[in-house]
Amino acid sequence: MKRFATIVALVALVLLAVFLLYPLALVLDASIRVDSTGAFTFGNYATIVKSRYYLGSIGNSLLAAALATGLACAIGIPLAFSLARIDVPGRALLLTLASLPLVLPSFVSAYALVLLFGHAGVVTTALRGIGIPIGSIYGMPGIVIVFTLTLYPYVLMPVLAGFQAVDASMEEAGRNLGGSQSYVIRTVLLPIVMPAILAGGLLVFIEALENFGVPAVLAEDRPFLAVDIFKLFAGESDANPAAAGALSVLLIACTALALLVQRHYLGKRRFSTAARSAPAKLVLTPALRLLAAIMSWGIVIVSLLPFAAVLMVSVLRFRGPVLTWELGLDNYATLLSGSYRPLLNTLTLASVAAVATMLIGAPIGYVVARHRSRLSGLLDFIGMVPFAVSGTILAIGLIVAFNSGPLVLTGGWLILVIAYVVRKLPFAIRSSSAIVHQLDPSLEEASINLGVSPSRTFAALTVPLMASGLVGGLVLVWITAASELSSTVVLYSSRWVTTTVVMYHAIEGTGAGLAAAAAAVLILVTAIPLLLINRRTSKQETTVI
Amino acid sequence: MTAIRIENLARSFGAVRAVDNISLHIAHGELFTLLGPSGCGKTTLLRMIAGFVEVETGSISFGDKRIDNLPAHHRDTGMVFQNYAIFPNHTVAENVAYGLKARKVPPAEIKSRVDKALERVRLTGYGPRAPHQLSGGQLQRVAIARALVIEPAVLLFDEPLSNLDAQLRTEMRIEIRQLQQALGLTAIYVTHDQEEALAISDRIAVLRQGKVEQVDTPERIYLRPQTAFVAEFLGSTNMVPGVAKAFDGRNTQVAAAGTEFSVRGEIAKPGAKVLLSLRPEALRLADSSDGPRVEARLALREFLGPVQRLHATLPDGTPLRVAALGGAAFDAVPGAPLALAYDPDQIIAFPAS
Repeated sequence: MKRFATIVALVALVLLAVFLLYPLALVLDASIRVDSTGAFTFGNYATIVKSRYYLGSIGNSLLAAALATGLACAIGIPLAFSLARIDVPGRALLLTLASLPLVLPSFVSAYALVLLFGHAGVVTTALRGIGIPIGSIYGMPGIVIVFTLTLYPYVLMPVLAGFQAVDASMEEAGRNLGGSQSYVIRTVLLPIVMPAILAGGLLVFIEALENFGVPAVLAEDRPFLAVDIFKLFAGESDANPAAAGALSVLLIACTALALLVQRHYLGKRRFSTAARSAPAKLVLTPALRLLAAIMSWGIVIVSLLPFAAVLMVSVLRFRGPVLTWELGLDNYATLLSGSYRPLLNTLTLASVAAVATMLIGAPIGYVVARHRSRLSGLLDFIGMVPFAVSGTILAIGLIVAFNSGPLVLTGGWLILVIAYVVRKLPFAIRSSSAIVHQLDPSLEEASINLGVSPSRTFAALTVPLMASGLVGGLVLVWITAASELSSTVVLYSSRWVTTTVVMYHAIEGTGAGLAAAAAAVLILVTAIPLLLINRRTSKQETTVI
Repeated sequence: MTAIRIENLARSFGAVRAVDNISLHIAHGELFTLLGPSGCGKTTLLRMIAGFVEVETGSISFGDKRIDNLPAHHRDTGMVFQNYAIFPNHTVAENVAYGLKARKVPPAEIKSRVDKALERVRLTGYGPRAPHQLSGGQLQRVAIARALVIEPAVLLFDEPLSNLDAQLRTEMRIEIRQLQQALGLTAIYVTHDQEEALAISDRIAVLRQGKVEQVDTPERIYLRPQTAFVAEFLGSTNMVPGVAKAFDGRNTQVAAAGTEFSVRGEIAKPGAKVLLSLRPEALRLADSSDGPRVEARLALREFLGPVQRLHATLPDGTPLRVAALGGAAFDAVPGAPLALAYDPDQIIAFPAS
């Protein structure tokens, strides 16, 4: 049993060392060297600290992430409360829809904002036509809006779970001791869900800080960290890998700090009240209930509208950059006329990456959950590092690491798959260790006791028992890999262009119709498997012992 | 023949000595119970035998074969888990066949052995069912069949009945005992339920904080406890502190609770502090017969049907529980004096620390 765990842990640690830590070390190394000579220096950092531009870039990124976190909490917490405690009509559907923004590509949402409210946006032109000018959505406002609308489920989901895990007796005890409804909410309910709020909020902060696609689409002239790193590394005119390295290290420092704060805080506070009876729905006046329904549905609909708009625009004709109101599949024709290749690449790469991620992540998750040792603790920690590393930075590290030397991967498909696997690995580890936690360890012990070796027990008993959960993880990894932009845009080669890359270039250039079609394809590619898996799990929930 | 020899076995978790230098010899065909409160190390000891907890020092042998260095899946033990651990993704028959497949038994033989095992636990015809269609007691039987069918060297039971209701628990322990005796298997049985341990065992080891307090037959464990802990853990005895007085050649007088007790034998030097264990059923309402008696006062009476429990106080206020048959005529009211007779041989004295 121990040997099996040790082997898994060692193999996983070697893989992570080669494809995660080594590339990151090279990025760190580049940041403390003079670009041309390779001499040791802190000059790159000094340049950043002295440069108004880079300081602005750091400031903008932090500000946007902080604002998005605040707003995501501001809409996520009331929404969670409504879904948990108020009889909102269509609650089940609302829950399914509310989780969609997490897996739909956020830069598509950003692009939809451009389509609607950009310089030549549908709404902008319409309003301008009747004499109402609207402010620019480029820069900070648009970016914060998109982050808020795509990331709020990170707050909603844990907080909702928190509200539902509070046993009815908690509140009843508070009321029985003489507290008013609002006093009890303030002193009992909120403190219990506080860890969930913090956990979700910090995730929003980290994701917003790292995100490349949204500022790439919406920033215009405003500097943002993730975009600047990309330009400094891959830019044609003003490339400066050393400065890119220094900025990367600063970005990683920010996200790592946020992650450590979260872990530290959650390590001390875990309120599990093991709810036996869920609290009753609040009795509200019809007016208040209507208000809650409007708010809940309003948030979810507004967050999904951009995606609907993209789907709609994709079937309209463009005349040059100008949108007409004629229906037609011209955009799709343009998208596919070049080649089916990008779409095929997207599907292939996502499939290979998803299978590989789960094959590597499931044993790691199992070992982390079952075998507490120093080695598995280390594995647990390193396995979470990708959370703190943006896709762009990982991709840069991979290029630096595998552009020459014994293992050359740049320009091929494998480097893309490796980037996806490393980036999605924390998710695979977390989801499979969560499943393992629900499996009684004595099941495995019974199997071993009956004469089946630990490794065969894992393959023949544990994996089948984890299967339904693993399929869910597989689909989610597949979806997020298919819509991955930040590392793809650094790592792709002409042979391995993906749909996200096509869309990115179409937005950068003038292919508005092409971008809309590519975005629509991405939405369909991600939404369809998600809906399938949702149906599957809701059917299976009752049969899982 | 599978006798089990456990020599100087030890295991710590951090600063806690979970199993502290335990040696036990278990004879072939014996049902040997590890009894103790939670945290006494009984489950750790069982899991060391099964191979799920590593041995720090000491050794475990089945017959002449040392097994503590073997991996768990080569130890040939059949374990029945507290929560049954029935594989939910396999049918009842597949669960029972699991260990036979691992041993590469030919399919035809597997079928007949599985059928026989299910028949033995009175689950004939349940083979094709899924586990979630079975009740707790039936799942328990599947778990037993699954452990029996591999004809293990040793059967291990980890609190197998603790998830069943009281009625089923007493039925199942009789079935387990009969199966174990019929098959002549050596079995180690872990429980915290003293009644279960007394009812089922050939011998019992009472464990406390990783150490063995006493190993004996159920009768001797109950009637002749060697330590105050054993006396208190088995049954709800009255522990009364006192001071030994003179030995009269047959009994020792002990001053305790404002009165005096006679205890058989020379239990301590005069002036030594002792602890007396007085079983509630060793005290009876005094009738005209002679013999030593003690004066108490009735505080409360509980009528429980077959028996009634009297809560009395000794002269200095020490509470004393007395068991009497439910049918015994009794008309004293709380506060009334109560004369209690006893047999000096049934009072056990321990040195007070």
